[in-house]
Amino acid sequence: MSDCNLMRESMPFLLTESLDPVRRETAHQHIEQCAACGEEWAGYRETWTLLETLPELEAPPRVKQRFMNYVNPPAAAPNVVPFQRRPAVRWLAQAAAVVIIASGAYVAGHRGAQPTTQVVDKTTAATPATVTSAMPLNAIQPAAFSIAESRVLPANQISPVIEGRPDIQNVSFTTLDGLNDQMGVSFDITSHVTVTGHPTDKTMVRLMRYVLENEDRMAPSQSRAIDWVRSTYSQPGNADPEIARALANVLRNDTHEGVRIKAVETLTNLPSALSTDSREALIQALKSDPNPAVRIKAVEALSNLIRKSGQADAITLETLRAKASQDDENMYVRVKAAEALSNVRP
Amino acid sequence: MRTTSSLVALLFLALPLGAANLTYIDRPITKIVPIDLAGTLWVDNPFGTVEISGVDGTNATITAVRTTIAVDHDSMVEARDNTVLSFEGDVHQRIVRTLMPPQRSQRWSSSVKYTISVPRTVHLRVATKAADTIRVANIMGNVTVKAFSGTIVLDNVNGASIIDAVNGRVVYNFPTKPVSNAQVNAVNANIEVHLPADSNIDWVADTLRGDVWTSFQQLRGRWTGRVFSGSLNASGGPRLTTATMLGRVALLANGATGADAQSVLSLLPPLPAGNTQPVVQQMSRIQLATIPGPMEIVQRVADVNVGEARGPLRVFTGGAIELGTVYGDCTANASGGITITEAKAGLNAHSGGGDIVVRTARNGGTILTDGGSVKVEYTGGPTTLRSGGGDIIVRQAGGPIDAETRSGDITVGSDPNQKTQHIAAHTARGNITLHLSPRFGADVDATVLTSDSDNDAIYSDFKGLQIRKDQVGGKTRFRATGKINGGGERLELYSEEGTIHINAGLKW
Repeated sequence: MSDCNLMRESMPFLLTESLDPVRRETAHQHIEQCAACGEEWAGYRETWTLLETLPELEAPPRVKQRFMNYVNPPAAAPNVVPFQRRPAVRWLAQAAAVVIIASGAYVAGHRGAQPTTQVVDKTTAATPATVTSAMPLNAIQPAAFSIAESRVLPANQISPVIEGRPDIQNVSFTTLDGLNDQMGVSFDITSHVTVTGHPTDKTMVRLMRYVLENEDRMAPSQSRAIDWVRSTYSQPGNADPEIARALANVLRNDTHEGVRIKAVETLTNLPSALSTDSREALIQALKSDPNPAVRIKAVEALSNLIRKSGQADAITLETLRAKASQDDENMYVRVKAAEALSNVRP
Repeated sequence: MRTTSSLVALLFLALPLGAANLTYIDRPITKIVPIDLAGTLWVDNPFGTVEISGVDGTNATITAVRTTIAVDHDSMVEARDNTVLSFEGDVHQRIVRTLMPPQRSQRWSSSVKYTISVPRTVHLRVATKAADTIRVANIMGNVTVKAFSGTIVLDNVNGASIIDAVNGRVVYNFPTKPVSNAQVNAVNANIEVHLPADSNIDWVADTLRGDVWTSFQQLRGRWTGRVFSGSLNASGGPRLTTATMLGRVALLANGATGADAQSVLSLLPPLPAGNTQPVVQQMSRIQLATIPGPMEIVQRVADVNVGEARGPLRVFTGGAIELGTVYGDCTANASGGITITEAKAGLNAHSGGGDIVVRTARNGGTILTDGGSVKVEYTGGPTTLRSGGGDIIVRQAGGPIDAETRSGDITVGSDPNQKTQHIAAHTARGNITLHLSPRFGADVDATVLTSDSDNDAIYSDFKGLQIRKDQVGGKTRFRATGKINGGGERLELYSEEGTIHINAGLKW
C-alpha cells in the first residue's frame, strides 16, 4: 500500500515527464501491475487531456500586479523604519508596543472628527502620550483606539516615537502567511490609560458599566467605583439606563455585602432607577438577600419609588405584602414594607 | 363583553382625571342565572363596588353598572373597549368578572358596581384591587374576600370567613352570636368587630404598631409578645383571628362605639419579661426632648428620638433610634439604624441591619450591626465593632479597637495623643487602612490573603516591617511582621481579597 501511495504522489511528475528514467520505468511497471493505480493514472491522463482543450484566459490586472509585487517587491516606503535586530528581544517588543499605541493615537487625532472623548495613554507619568478619539459610538466605527482584550494593528499606522518604558511581557514573533517580508510581534503590555469625556458619552457609560460589572479585576475597590457612579450619574442630565442595568447586575451577583448596599443606594438615587431591570433587582434583593442591611436598603428604595410614582406593579405589591407579613423578617423591613403599601394607589 | 347598552349620561365633571373629563355611566345590565344552593359565586372586580346579599330562592341576580371616565373621546372608546364584563360558569360555580388591562392608562379609568343577590347558602369568593366598598350580607356559606384597599363590610355572615386586605377598613357586624371562625389578615387596614355582648368567642389579636381595643370588660386572656390571645365569656367558641401590621383592632359590643373602648393593653397588661417594662404606649414615633433619670423604652416598631438622657437609658425597638447625649450607660437595640451623638458612659448598641453612627463614645463600648456600616467619630475607651457586611470607620480611636466585618473596609485613625494602642481589624473581604501618628509604636502582624499575586498587598509608611509572600490553598498570602518605632501594643490586621495600608499621618 505504501508503494501505491508513493506511486500516486509521483503521477503528476510522470504526467509532466519530470521523473528521472529509472523512477519513470519503475512507476510504469507498478501501474501496469496494480489495477487501482492503473485506474488512478487513467484519470490523471484524462484530466490532463481535458486541460489542454480549455481556452487560455488572461489574468486580471490586479491579480497580475499583486503577483508581480510578490515576485519583485517595490522599494520600501520612505516613512517605514527599517527593522534592525537589537541585542535584547525585550527592547524590540517594547518599542513596537509604544509605536502601536502612539500611532493609534496619532491617527485618531488627525481624522478630523469632532472630539468629545479623549483617551490618554500614560505609559509613564513623566511622558504622557495623548490619544484622541472623539465621536459618538455610531460615528467611531472602526475606533482608532479601543479598550480591548486583544488587538491587531498594522505598523504603518503606528508612530515610531517610543515614550517612556512600558512594561511588556509574553513576547512572541510570528511570520505572516504569504508575506515573507513582514512579521508580527505579539505581547502583553501594561499601560495606564485615562479616558476623559462627558459622563453621557457612550464610551464613558460603557466603560463605567464594565468597571461595575467586573469586580474581580478592579482595584482598589469596586465600591469606590459605585461611589463615583452615584455622584456622577445621579444627576438628571447624566442618567443612563445602562448604568442602572450594571448596578442591577452588581446587586444580583456581587458577593460583597457592602458593594450590594452601595448598589442599592445608588439605584435609589438614579433618575433611571425606575427601569424594569432595576426594580426586579431590588425586588430580588428584598426577597432573598441574606444580609438584612441590603434588604433594608431595598425596601427603602422600593418605598421611595412608590412614593414618587404612587403606583407599583403587581409583583412589587406582592413582594411588599409578603415581606410585611413575614414573621421572621427584620422588623424594620416589615414596617417599611407595610408603610410602602400604604402609599400605593392601585 | 362589549356593552350594547345605551348611553345614559354624558357629563362634564371635575373628576380625578381632570377638570373636563368625559364620564359615561352605562345602563344597568341584569343577569338572572340559576345557582346551586351549595354552589360558589366568584366575583372578580378590580375597581368598583361589590354588594352581595343572601336571599331565599335558587337564582343569582347580578346587576352591573359600568362607569368610564376619560379625557377625550378616543380615550373613552379605548376605556369602553377595555372594560369588559364577563359572566361564566354553570349552576355549581358562577363566575362574574370585569376584564381590564393589567396596567392602567393615565387617560382613562373605569369601574363597575355589582349588586348581586344569591341564595343565602352559597359560598362567595370576592377579589378586588381598589374597591370602594365590598359588602356581604346575610350569607350562611363560606366567604373569602381579597382586596388591596377599600372598605369591607360583612353583615350577618354566619359561615366561615377569611378576609385578606392591605389598606382600608374591615368591619364585621354580627347581629347574633358568631357560630363560625373568622379570620382577618391585614397590613395597614383597621379591623372592627361588632358582636352581641353575650357572645362566646376565642379571640387572637396581633398588631405590630397599632393597638388592640375592646369595649368588653369581661375579656380574659394574656399577651405573648405582641399577640393577645383571650376569650370572651365562655371559651371554646368560634375563633376570631384579627391581624394587622400597622392598623388598629377593635372588638366592640353591638351598640358600642370606639369611644366606649379601651386598650386591651391597659385592661390586661403584658407580663414583664425580665427587666423589660414598657413605659410608653406603642406608637409609630417616640420623641422625648429630655429624660431626667433612668429610663427604659420598649417599642415594637416605633422610631425613637431622645434629645438628652441624664441617667442610664435602655431603648429596644423594631424601628430606628436617634439619641442625643446620654449621661448614663446607654443600651440601644433597634432593627433599623442607630445614631448617637454622645455616650458619656458605657455604650452597647446593636442594630438588626441598619447603619450605626456614633459621634462620641467617651468610654468606648460595643457596637454591632448585623448588616449595615459602623461609623464612630471618636471613642475614648476599648471599643468592639462588628458588622455583618458593611464598612467600619473609626475616625479617632483613643482606646483599643477590635473591629471585624464580614465584608467591607475597615478604617481606623488613632488619637494623636496615643503613642501606642492595641488595634485588631479583621475583614473577610475588604481593605484595612490605619492612620497612625508618625511616632506610633507597635508590634505589627498584618496578613493579606488574596487571589492577586501580582501586586503588593501591604503598604506601610513605617520602616521595620518584614513582608513575606507565600502560597496558601491556591491563594497568595502576604504577611508583614515587625516593630514600628521600637514596638508597642499589637496591631493585628487580617484582610482577604483586599489590601492593608499603614499610614504615618493622621490626615485622611
